[in-house]
Amino acid sequence: MQHLANVTQLRPEPARPAIEVAALNHIYDGRDGQVPALENIALTVGVGKFTVIVGPSGCGKTSLLMMMAGLRHQTSGTINIQSRPIDRPDPDRVGVVFQEASLFPWLSALDNIEFPMALRNAPREERRTRATDMLNLVGLQGFGARYPHELSGGMKQRVSIARGLVQDPPVLLMDEPFAALDEQTRMTMGHELLRIWSQTAKTVVFVTHSLTEAVYLADEVLVMSARPGRIIDRITISLPRPRSYEMMGTEVFGRLRERIWQQIRKEG
Amino acid sequence: MTRIQLILIRLLLLALFLGAWEVLPRDGIINPLLLPPFGDVITTLMQLLGRPQVHEAILVTSAEVIVAFVIAVPLGAAIGVALAESDYVGQIFKPLMFYVFSVPKSIFLPMFILIMGIGFQQKVAYAAFSTLFIVIMSATAAVESVKADHVLVARSYGATRMQILTRVYVPSMMPILLETLRISMIFNFTGVMIAEMYASRTGIGHLIANWGENFQLPQLFAGVILLAAVAIAFNETVRLLERRCSTWRT
Repeated sequence: MQHLANVTQLRPEPARPAIEVAALNHIYDGRDGQVPALENIALTVGVGKFTVIVGPSGCGKTSLLMMMAGLRHQTSGTINIQSRPIDRPDPDRVGVVFQEASLFPWLSALDNIEFPMALRNAPREERRTRATDMLNLVGLQGFGARYPHELSGGMKQRVSIARGLVQDPPVLLMDEPFAALDEQTRMTMGHELLRIWSQTAKTVVFVTHSLTEAVYLADEVLVMSARPGRIIDRITISLPRPRSYEMMGTEVFGRLRERIWQQIRKEG
Repeated sequence: MTRIQLILIRLLLLALFLGAWEVLPRDGIINPLLLPPFGDVITTLMQLLGRPQVHEAILVTSAEVIVAFVIAVPLGAAIGVALAESDYVGQIFKPLMFYVFSVPKSIFLPMFILIMGIGFQQKVAYAAFSTLFIVIMSATAAVESVKADHVLVARSYGATRMQILTRVYVPSMMPILLETLRISMIFNFTGVMIAEMYASRTGIGHLIANWGENFQLPQLFAGVILLAAVAIAFNETVRLLERRCSTWRT
Protein backbone atom coordinates (compact mmCIF):
# COMPACT_ATOMS: atom_id res chain seq x y z
CA MET A 1 0.00 0.00 0.00
CA GLN A 2 2.82 2.28 0.90
CA HIS A 3 4.15 1.78 -2.59
CA LEU A 4 0.89 2.67 -4.26
CA ALA A 5 0.60 5.85 -2.25
CA ASN A 6 4.04 6.88 -3.37
CA VAL A 7 3.26 6.20 -6.99
CA THR A 8 0.22 8.47 -6.95
CA GLN A 9 2.24 11.18 -5.31
CA LEU A 10 4.84 10.95 -8.02
CA ARG A 11 2.25 11.87 -10.60
CA PRO A 12 0.65 15.12 -9.59
CA GLU A 13 -1.98 16.57 -11.93
CA PRO A 14 -0.49 19.09 -14.35
CA ALA A 15 3.20 19.22 -13.45
CA ARG A 16 3.83 22.58 -11.82
CA PRO A 17 7.22 24.22 -12.00
CA ALA A 18 9.56 23.52 -9.08
CA ILE A 19 10.09 27.23 -8.49
CA GLU A 20 7.67 30.08 -9.17
CA VAL A 21 8.54 33.67 -8.33
CA ALA A 22 5.89 36.29 -9.07
CA ALA A 23 5.71 40.09 -8.76
CA LEU A 24 8.62 40.15 -6.36
CA ASN A 25 9.87 43.53 -5.17
CA HIS A 26 12.44 44.30 -2.56
CA ILE A 27 13.22 47.63 -0.95
CA TYR A 28 15.74 48.02 1.81
CA ASP A 29 16.48 50.87 4.19
CA GLY A 30 19.82 52.30 3.19
CA ARG A 31 21.72 55.21 4.63
CA ASP A 32 19.96 57.68 2.29
CA GLY A 33 16.46 56.33 2.73
CA GLN A 34 14.73 53.51 0.92
CA VAL A 35 16.64 51.79 -1.85
CA PRO A 36 14.83 49.60 -4.40
CA ALA A 37 16.92 46.44 -4.75
CA LEU A 38 14.74 44.10 -6.79
CA GLU A 39 11.95 45.17 -9.09
CA ASN A 40 9.08 43.10 -10.39
CA ILE A 41 10.92 39.80 -10.59
CA ALA A 42 8.99 36.95 -12.17
CA LEU A 43 10.48 33.59 -13.04
CA THR A 44 9.68 29.92 -13.18
CA VAL A 45 12.00 26.96 -13.14
CA GLY A 46 10.65 23.64 -14.36
CA VAL A 47 11.26 20.43 -12.44
CA GLY A 48 14.78 19.16 -13.10
CA LYS A 49 15.84 22.29 -15.01
CA PHE A 50 19.12 24.12 -14.64
CA THR A 51 18.64 27.89 -14.51
CA VAL A 52 21.51 30.35 -14.23
CA ILE A 53 21.09 33.95 -13.07
CA VAL A 54 23.77 36.39 -14.26
CA GLY A 55 24.09 40.09 -13.68
CA PRO A 56 26.50 42.82 -12.66
CA SER A 57 27.80 42.98 -9.09
CA GLY A 58 25.28 44.36 -6.65
CA CYS A 59 22.28 43.66 -8.88
CA GLY A 60 20.59 41.67 -6.15
CA LYS A 61 21.03 38.19 -7.62
CA THR A 62 22.38 36.80 -4.38
CA SER A 63 19.56 38.50 -2.44
CA LEU A 64 17.05 36.87 -4.77
CA LEU A 65 18.64 33.48 -4.18
CA MET A 66 18.63 34.01 -0.40
CA MET A 67 14.91 34.80 -0.61
CA MET A 68 14.28 31.56 -2.52
CA ALA A 69 16.16 29.80 0.31
CA GLY A 70 13.88 31.45 2.88
CA LEU A 71 16.88 33.16 4.46
CA ARG A 72 15.71 36.68 3.64
CA HIS A 73 12.28 38.24 3.25
CA GLN A 74 11.13 40.15 0.20
CA THR A 75 9.15 43.38 0.59
CA SER A 76 6.35 42.05 -1.62
CA GLY A 77 5.57 39.24 -4.05
CA THR A 78 5.49 35.48 -3.76
CA ILE A 79 7.98 32.66 -4.00
CA ASN A 80 6.63 29.13 -4.33
CA ILE A 81 8.91 26.13 -4.13
CA GLN A 82 7.30 22.77 -4.89
CA SER A 83 3.93 24.61 -5.05
CA ARG A 84 4.16 26.00 -1.53
CA PRO A 85 5.31 29.43 -0.39
CA ILE A 86 8.68 29.56 1.31
CA ASP A 87 9.00 31.99 4.20
CA ARG A 88 11.76 30.30 6.16
CA PRO A 89 14.54 27.81 5.44
CA ASP A 90 13.14 24.40 4.61
CA PRO A 91 15.88 21.81 4.08
CA ASP A 92 13.27 19.29 2.91
CA ARG A 93 12.66 21.36 -0.18
CA VAL A 94 15.82 23.41 -0.66
CA GLY A 95 19.54 22.76 -0.31
CA VAL A 96 21.92 25.71 -0.51
CA VAL A 97 25.52 25.74 -1.71
CA PHE A 98 27.35 28.89 -0.69
CA GLN A 99 30.44 30.70 -1.86
CA GLU A 100 33.90 29.64 -0.73
CA ALA A 101 34.75 29.16 2.92
CA SER A 102 31.29 28.12 4.04
CA LEU A 103 32.53 24.79 5.38
CA PHE A 104 32.98 24.55 9.12
CA PRO A 105 36.74 24.41 9.72
CA TRP A 106 36.31 22.46 12.97
CA LEU A 107 34.55 19.54 11.25
CA SER A 108 36.04 16.93 8.92
CA ALA A 109 34.72 16.72 5.34
CA LEU A 110 32.41 13.88 6.31
CA ASP A 111 31.14 15.68 9.42
CA ASN A 112 30.52 18.79 7.33
CA ILE A 113 28.40 16.76 4.93
CA GLU A 114 26.54 15.19 7.86
CA PHE A 115 25.89 18.57 9.47
CA PRO A 116 22.35 19.09 8.08
CA MET A 117 21.37 15.58 9.20
CA ALA A 118 22.98 16.08 12.60
CA LEU A 119 20.76 19.13 13.12
CA ARG A 120 17.78 16.79 12.84
CA ASN A 121 19.34 14.17 15.09
CA ALA A 122 19.32 11.53 12.38
CA PRO A 123 20.73 8.19 13.61
CA ARG A 124 24.49 7.96 13.44
CA GLU A 125 24.79 5.07 10.98
CA GLU A 126 22.24 6.58 8.64
CA ARG A 127 24.20 9.84 8.65
CA ARG A 128 27.48 8.07 7.99
CA THR A 129 26.10 5.96 5.14
CA ARG A 130 24.35 8.85 3.48
CA ALA A 131 27.31 11.23 3.85
CA THR A 132 29.71 8.62 2.48
CA ASP A 133 27.44 8.12 -0.53
CA MET A 134 27.47 11.86 -1.15
CA LEU A 135 31.25 12.00 -0.74
CA ASN A 136 31.57 9.33 -3.42
CA LEU A 137 29.05 11.08 -5.65
CA VAL A 138 31.15 14.25 -5.68
CA GLY A 139 34.31 12.21 -6.35
CA LEU A 140 36.03 12.55 -3.00
CA GLN A 141 36.35 8.89 -1.98
CA GLY A 142 38.84 8.57 0.84
CA PHE A 143 38.90 12.25 1.76
CA GLY A 144 36.19 12.09 4.43
CA ALA A 145 38.55 12.44 7.37
CA ARG A 146 40.31 15.52 5.96
CA TYR A 147 39.63 18.92 7.45
CA PRO A 148 38.75 21.85 5.17
CA HIS A 149 42.19 23.44 5.51
CA GLU A 150 43.66 20.21 4.17
CA LEU A 151 41.53 20.38 1.00
CA SER A 152 42.01 22.40 -2.19
CA GLY A 153 39.49 25.06 -3.19
CA GLY A 154 37.81 22.74 -5.69
CA MET A 155 37.59 19.89 -3.18
CA LYS A 156 36.03 22.21 -0.60
CA GLN A 157 33.31 23.15 -3.05
CA ARG A 158 32.72 19.47 -3.81
CA VAL A 159 32.15 18.97 -0.09
CA SER A 160 29.77 21.97 -0.09
CA ILE A 161 27.78 20.41 -2.94
CA ALA A 162 27.65 17.09 -1.09
CA ARG A 163 26.38 18.91 2.00
CA GLY A 164 23.69 20.61 -0.10
CA LEU A 165 22.55 17.26 -1.48
CA VAL A 166 22.78 15.12 1.64
CA GLN A 167 19.12 15.46 2.60
CA ASP A 168 18.03 14.90 -0.98
CA PRO A 169 16.10 18.16 -1.44
CA PRO A 170 14.42 18.51 -4.86
CA VAL A 171 15.82 22.03 -5.31
CA LEU A 172 19.46 23.09 -5.11
CA LEU A 173 20.32 26.81 -4.91
CA MET A 174 23.92 27.75 -5.63
CA ASP A 175 25.40 31.16 -4.87
CA GLU A 176 28.54 31.69 -6.97
CA PRO A 177 30.00 28.44 -5.69
CA PHE A 178 33.05 28.53 -7.98
CA ALA A 179 33.79 32.26 -7.85
CA ALA A 180 36.97 31.87 -5.80
CA LEU A 181 38.44 29.04 -7.90
CA ASP A 182 41.09 29.41 -10.60
CA GLU A 183 39.92 29.17 -14.21
CA GLN A 184 40.85 25.51 -14.87
CA THR A 185 39.41 24.26 -11.59
CA ARG A 186 36.32 26.28 -12.28
CA MET A 187 35.78 24.59 -15.65
CA THR A 188 36.34 21.15 -14.17
CA MET A 189 33.93 21.89 -11.36
CA GLY A 190 31.27 23.13 -13.79
CA HIS A 191 31.59 19.90 -15.72
CA GLU A 192 31.48 17.86 -12.51
CA LEU A 193 28.39 19.75 -11.38
CA LEU A 194 26.61 18.81 -14.62
CA ARG A 195 27.50 15.16 -14.06
CA ILE A 196 26.19 15.28 -10.48
CA TRP A 197 23.08 17.12 -11.65
CA SER A 198 22.35 14.53 -14.33
CA GLN A 199 22.75 11.75 -11.75
CA THR A 200 20.51 13.34 -9.15
CA ALA A 201 17.88 15.09 -11.34
CA LYS A 202 17.67 18.18 -9.11
CA THR A 203 16.18 21.52 -10.02
CA VAL A 204 19.08 23.95 -9.87
CA VAL A 205 19.29 27.73 -9.66
CA PHE A 206 22.86 28.89 -10.04
CA VAL A 207 24.05 32.46 -9.57
CA THR A 208 27.26 33.58 -11.24
CA HIS A 209 28.88 36.51 -12.97
CA SER A 210 30.82 34.32 -15.39
CA LEU A 211 29.13 34.36 -18.78
CA THR A 212 30.98 31.28 -20.02
CA GLU A 213 29.92 29.36 -16.94
CA ALA A 214 26.33 30.53 -17.45
CA VAL A 215 26.09 29.34 -21.06
CA TYR A 216 27.96 26.11 -20.36
CA LEU A 217 25.73 25.05 -17.48
CA ALA A 218 22.26 26.38 -18.17
CA ASP A 219 19.03 25.28 -19.72
CA GLU A 220 17.97 28.89 -19.36
CA VAL A 221 19.95 32.02 -18.50
CA LEU A 222 18.21 34.93 -16.78
CA VAL A 223 20.05 38.22 -17.18
CA MET A 224 19.57 40.82 -14.48
CA SER A 225 20.06 44.56 -14.69
CA ALA A 226 22.07 46.73 -12.33
CA ARG A 227 20.22 48.01 -9.26
CA PRO A 228 17.32 47.92 -9.00
CA GLY A 229 17.61 44.35 -10.22
CA ARG A 230 15.16 43.41 -12.95
CA ILE A 231 15.19 40.46 -15.32
CA ILE A 232 16.03 42.02 -18.66
CA ASP A 233 16.52 38.91 -20.76
CA ARG A 234 15.70 35.22 -20.74
CA ILE A 235 17.80 33.06 -23.00
CA THR A 236 17.10 29.41 -23.65
CA ILE A 237 20.35 27.51 -24.14
CA SER A 238 19.57 24.75 -26.58
CA LEU A 239 23.06 23.28 -26.73
CA PRO A 240 22.77 19.48 -26.55
CA ARG A 241 23.54 17.57 -23.38
CA PRO A 242 25.82 16.20 -22.12
CA ARG A 243 27.79 19.39 -22.63
CA SER A 244 31.48 19.18 -23.48
CA TYR A 245 34.40 21.58 -23.35
CA GLU A 246 34.59 21.58 -27.16
CA MET A 247 31.22 23.33 -27.32
CA MET A 248 32.77 26.44 -25.84
CA GLY A 249 34.63 26.99 -29.11
CA THR A 250 31.52 26.74 -31.29
CA GLU A 251 29.82 29.63 -32.99
CA VAL A 252 26.51 28.97 -31.23
CA PHE A 253 28.19 29.16 -27.85
CA GLY A 254 29.93 32.39 -28.81
CA ARG A 255 26.71 33.96 -30.03
CA LEU A 256 24.84 33.10 -26.84
CA ARG A 257 27.65 34.47 -24.71
CA GLU A 258 27.78 37.62 -26.81
CA ARG A 259 24.04 38.18 -26.44
CA ILE A 260 24.30 38.07 -22.63
CA TRP A 261 27.38 40.29 -22.68
CA GLN A 262 25.55 42.93 -24.76
CA GLN A 263 22.71 42.98 -22.26
CA ILE A 264 24.99 43.36 -19.29
CA ARG A 265 27.18 45.96 -21.00
CA LYS A 266 24.15 48.17 -21.63
CA GLU A 267 23.59 48.09 -17.90
CA GLY A 268 27.17 48.84 -16.91
CA MET B 1 66.62 20.73 13.72
CA THR B 2 64.78 17.73 15.07
CA ARG B 3 62.46 17.87 18.03
CA ILE B 4 64.81 15.90 20.23
CA GLN B 5 67.72 18.22 19.46
CA LEU B 6 65.56 21.17 20.33
CA ILE B 7 64.57 19.66 23.67
CA LEU B 8 68.19 18.74 24.43
CA ILE B 9 69.35 22.29 23.74
CA ARG B 10 66.64 23.68 25.99
CA LEU B 11 67.56 21.29 28.79
CA LEU B 12 71.20 22.21 28.35
CA LEU B 13 70.39 25.92 28.70
CA LEU B 14 68.31 25.21 31.81
CA ALA B 15 71.19 23.16 33.31
CA LEU B 16 73.63 25.97 32.52
CA PHE B 17 71.36 28.49 34.18
CA LEU B 18 70.82 26.41 37.31
CA GLY B 19 74.52 25.47 37.39
CA ALA B 20 75.50 29.13 37.33
CA TRP B 21 72.94 29.81 40.04
CA GLU B 22 74.60 27.11 42.13
CA VAL B 23 78.27 27.88 41.42
CA LEU B 24 78.47 31.67 41.26
CA PRO B 25 77.16 32.36 44.82
CA ARG B 26 79.13 29.41 46.27
CA ASP B 27 82.39 30.73 44.86
CA GLY B 28 81.55 34.17 46.18
CA ILE B 29 81.41 35.72 42.69
CA ILE B 30 77.87 36.78 43.55
CA ASN B 31 77.03 37.67 47.15
CA PRO B 32 75.28 34.53 48.51
CA LEU B 33 73.24 36.74 50.83
CA LEU B 34 71.59 38.31 47.81
CA LEU B 35 71.44 35.15 45.70
CA PRO B 36 71.54 31.96 47.78
CA PRO B 37 72.86 28.93 45.84
CA PHE B 38 70.24 26.92 43.99
CA GLY B 39 70.85 23.83 46.14
CA ASP B 40 70.14 25.78 49.33
CA VAL B 41 66.95 27.19 47.83
CA ILE B 42 65.70 23.70 46.96
CA THR B 43 66.52 22.43 50.45
CA THR B 44 64.62 25.37 51.91
CA LEU B 45 61.70 24.70 49.57
CA MET B 46 61.52 21.08 50.78
CA GLN B 47 61.57 22.21 54.41
CA LEU B 48 58.90 24.82 53.75
CA LEU B 49 56.65 22.28 52.06
CA GLY B 50 56.68 20.32 55.31
CA ARG B 51 55.42 23.23 57.42
CA PRO B 52 51.70 23.56 58.35
CA GLN B 53 51.93 27.36 58.08
CA VAL B 54 52.97 27.01 54.43
CA HIS B 55 50.25 24.43 53.77
CA GLU B 56 47.68 26.85 55.07
CA ALA B 57 49.09 29.66 52.96
CA ILE B 58 48.95 27.48 49.84
CA LEU B 59 45.34 26.54 50.59
CA VAL B 60 44.28 30.14 51.15
CA THR B 61 45.99 31.40 48.02
CA SER B 62 44.59 28.56 45.88
CA ALA B 63 41.11 29.21 47.23
CA GLU B 64 41.38 32.92 46.44
CA VAL B 65 42.66 32.24 42.94
CA ILE B 66 39.99 29.66 42.18
CA VAL B 67 37.06 31.68 43.54
CA ALA B 68 38.22 34.84 41.75
CA PHE B 69 38.62 32.83 38.53
CA VAL B 70 35.17 31.27 38.84
CA ILE B 71 33.64 34.72 39.32
CA ALA B 72 35.62 36.70 36.75
CA VAL B 73 35.59 34.34 33.78
CA PRO B 74 31.84 33.61 33.42
CA LEU B 75 30.90 37.17 34.37
CA GLY B 76 33.41 38.69 31.96
CA ALA B 77 32.39 36.25 29.22
CA ALA B 78 28.70 37.11 29.67
CA ILE B 79 29.38 40.85 29.56
CA GLY B 80 31.69 40.43 26.58
CA VAL B 81 29.12 38.42 24.62
CA ALA B 82 26.42 40.98 25.46
CA LEU B 83 28.66 43.81 24.23
CA ALA B 84 29.42 41.99 20.99
CA GLU B 85 25.88 40.78 20.29
CA SER B 86 23.97 43.96 21.04
CA ASP B 87 24.85 46.88 18.79
CA TYR B 88 23.17 49.30 21.14
CA VAL B 89 24.92 48.22 24.34
CA GLY B 90 28.18 47.72 22.46
CA GLN B 91 28.22 51.22 21.01
CA ILE B 92 27.75 52.76 24.43
CA PHE B 93 30.10 50.66 26.52
CA LYS B 94 32.84 49.37 24.22
CA PRO B 95 34.94 52.58 24.23
CA LEU B 96 34.49 52.85 28.00
CA MET B 97 35.80 49.30 28.37
CA PHE B 98 38.90 50.20 26.40
CA TYR B 99 39.52 53.22 28.62
CA VAL B 100 39.16 51.26 31.84
CA PHE B 101 41.25 48.44 30.42
CA SER B 102 44.19 50.78 29.90
CA VAL B 103 44.25 51.85 33.55
CA PRO B 104 46.52 49.75 35.82
CA LYS B 105 44.15 47.96 38.16
CA SER B 106 46.57 48.03 41.12
CA ILE B 107 45.81 51.72 41.76
CA PHE B 108 42.34 50.64 42.88
CA LEU B 109 43.71 48.26 45.51
CA PRO B 110 43.61 50.80 48.39
CA MET B 111 39.90 51.36 47.69
CA PHE B 112 39.21 47.63 47.90
CA ILE B 113 41.00 47.55 51.25
CA LEU B 114 39.05 50.55 52.53
CA ILE B 115 35.76 49.00 51.56
CA MET B 116 36.38 45.32 52.29
CA GLY B 117 39.26 45.15 54.74
CA ILE B 118 42.18 42.76 54.14
CA GLY B 119 40.40 39.42 54.30
CA PHE B 120 39.53 36.70 51.82
CA GLN B 121 36.76 38.68 50.08
CA GLN B 122 39.00 41.60 49.35
CA LYS B 123 41.63 39.40 47.66
CA VAL B 124 38.97 37.64 45.60
CA ALA B 125 37.19 40.88 44.70
CA TYR B 126 40.38 42.62 43.68
CA ALA B 127 41.69 39.65 41.66
CA ALA B 128 38.31 39.22 39.93
CA PHE B 129 38.21 42.94 39.19
CA SER B 130 41.69 42.97 37.70
CA THR B 131 40.83 39.95 35.51
CA LEU B 132 37.37 40.99 34.41
CA PHE B 133 38.36 43.43 31.68
CA ILE B 134 40.68 41.14 29.79
CA VAL B 135 37.93 38.49 29.80
CA ILE B 136 35.36 40.99 28.52
CA MET B 137 37.63 42.13 25.71
CA SER B 138 38.56 38.58 24.71
CA ALA B 139 34.96 37.36 24.80
CA THR B 140 33.98 40.24 22.53
CA ALA B 141 36.78 39.27 20.15
CA ALA B 142 35.63 35.64 20.32
CA VAL B 143 32.07 36.51 19.31
CA GLU B 144 33.34 38.72 16.52
CA SER B 145 35.40 35.80 15.24
CA VAL B 146 32.19 33.87 14.44
CA LYS B 147 31.74 34.07 10.68
CA ALA B 148 28.38 35.34 9.42
CA ASP B 149 28.64 32.82 6.54
CA HIS B 150 28.75 29.92 8.96
CA VAL B 151 25.65 31.17 10.77
CA LEU B 152 23.91 31.54 7.41
CA VAL B 153 24.79 27.97 6.42
CA ALA B 154 23.39 26.64 9.70
CA ARG B 155 20.21 28.68 9.27
CA SER B 156 19.75 27.46 5.71
CA TYR B 157 19.67 23.89 7.06
CA GLY B 158 16.99 24.83 9.55
CA ALA B 159 19.15 25.19 12.68
CA THR B 160 17.35 26.51 15.75
CA ARG B 161 18.81 29.38 17.77
CA MET B 162 20.07 26.88 20.30
CA GLN B 163 21.72 24.77 17.61
CA ILE B 164 23.38 27.85 16.11
CA LEU B 165 24.75 28.63 19.56
CA THR B 166 26.08 25.14 20.31
CA ARG B 167 27.11 24.05 16.83
CA VAL B 168 28.43 27.30 15.34
CA TYR B 169 29.18 29.86 18.05
CA VAL B 170 30.82 27.58 20.61
CA PRO B 171 33.20 25.78 18.22
CA SER B 172 34.03 29.04 16.40
CA MET B 173 34.86 30.77 19.67
CA MET B 174 36.68 27.86 21.29
CA PRO B 175 40.28 28.72 20.30
CA ILE B 176 39.98 32.30 21.56
CA LEU B 177 38.10 31.20 24.67
CA LEU B 178 40.84 28.78 25.63
CA GLU B 179 43.44 31.46 25.16
CA THR B 180 41.32 33.76 27.31
CA LEU B 181 41.22 31.14 30.02
CA ARG B 182 44.99 31.00 30.05
CA ILE B 183 45.57 34.75 29.99
CA SER B 184 42.89 35.47 32.58
CA MET B 185 44.54 32.97 34.92
CA ILE B 186 47.78 34.95 34.64
CA PHE B 187 45.95 38.21 35.45
CA ASN B 188 44.03 36.52 38.23
CA PHE B 189 47.11 35.04 39.86
CA THR B 190 48.90 38.38 39.62
CA GLY B 191 45.90 40.10 41.22
CA VAL B 192 45.86 37.72 44.19
CA MET B 193 49.64 38.04 44.65
CA ILE B 194 49.58 41.84 44.59
CA ALA B 195 46.72 41.95 47.07
CA GLU B 196 48.45 39.48 49.39
CA MET B 197 51.78 41.25 49.23
CA TYR B 198 50.25 44.65 49.74
CA ALA B 199 48.25 43.90 52.86
CA SER B 200 47.42 40.47 54.20
CA ARG B 201 47.77 38.13 57.17
CA THR B 202 48.08 34.94 55.19
CA GLY B 203 48.71 33.43 51.75
CA ILE B 204 51.85 32.75 49.73
CA GLY B 205 52.10 36.36 48.59
CA HIS B 206 52.07 37.49 52.21
CA LEU B 207 54.81 34.97 53.11
CA ILE B 208 56.96 36.07 50.19
CA ALA B 209 56.59 39.73 51.10
CA ASN B 210 57.50 38.90 54.71
CA TRP B 211 60.56 36.86 53.77
CA GLY B 212 61.70 39.73 51.58
CA GLU B 213 61.31 42.27 54.34
CA ASN B 214 63.19 40.03 56.82
CA PHE B 215 65.97 39.34 54.35
CA GLN B 216 65.22 35.59 54.29
CA LEU B 217 66.34 35.12 50.72
CA PRO B 218 66.43 31.29 50.54
CA GLN B 219 62.77 31.28 51.62
CA LEU B 220 61.95 34.09 49.20
CA PHE B 221 63.45 32.23 46.26
CA ALA B 222 61.80 28.98 47.35
CA GLY B 223 58.45 30.79 47.28
CA VAL B 224 59.18 32.16 43.84
CA ILE B 225 60.02 28.71 42.49
CA LEU B 226 56.87 27.24 44.02
CA LEU B 227 54.64 29.89 42.47
CA ALA B 228 56.39 29.71 39.13
CA ALA B 229 55.88 25.94 39.04
CA VAL B 230 52.15 26.23 39.76
CA ALA B 231 51.64 29.02 37.22
CA ILE B 232 53.59 27.22 34.49
CA ALA B 233 51.73 23.96 35.14
CA PHE B 234 48.33 25.62 34.67
CA ASN B 235 49.46 27.57 31.64
CA GLU B 236 50.83 24.49 29.91
CA THR B 237 47.70 22.43 30.60
CA VAL B 238 45.51 25.00 28.88
CA ARG B 239 48.03 25.43 26.08
CA LEU B 240 47.88 21.72 25.44
CA LEU B 241 44.10 21.99 25.05
CA GLU B 242 44.57 25.00 22.80
CA ARG B 243 46.91 23.12 20.54
CA ARG B 244 44.37 20.34 20.09
CA CYS B 245 41.85 22.93 18.91
CA SER B 246 44.29 24.93 16.83
CA THR B 247 43.77 22.80 13.73
CA TRP B 248 40.80 24.91 12.77
CA ARG B 249 42.16 28.26 13.84
CA THR B 250 42.32 30.48 10.77
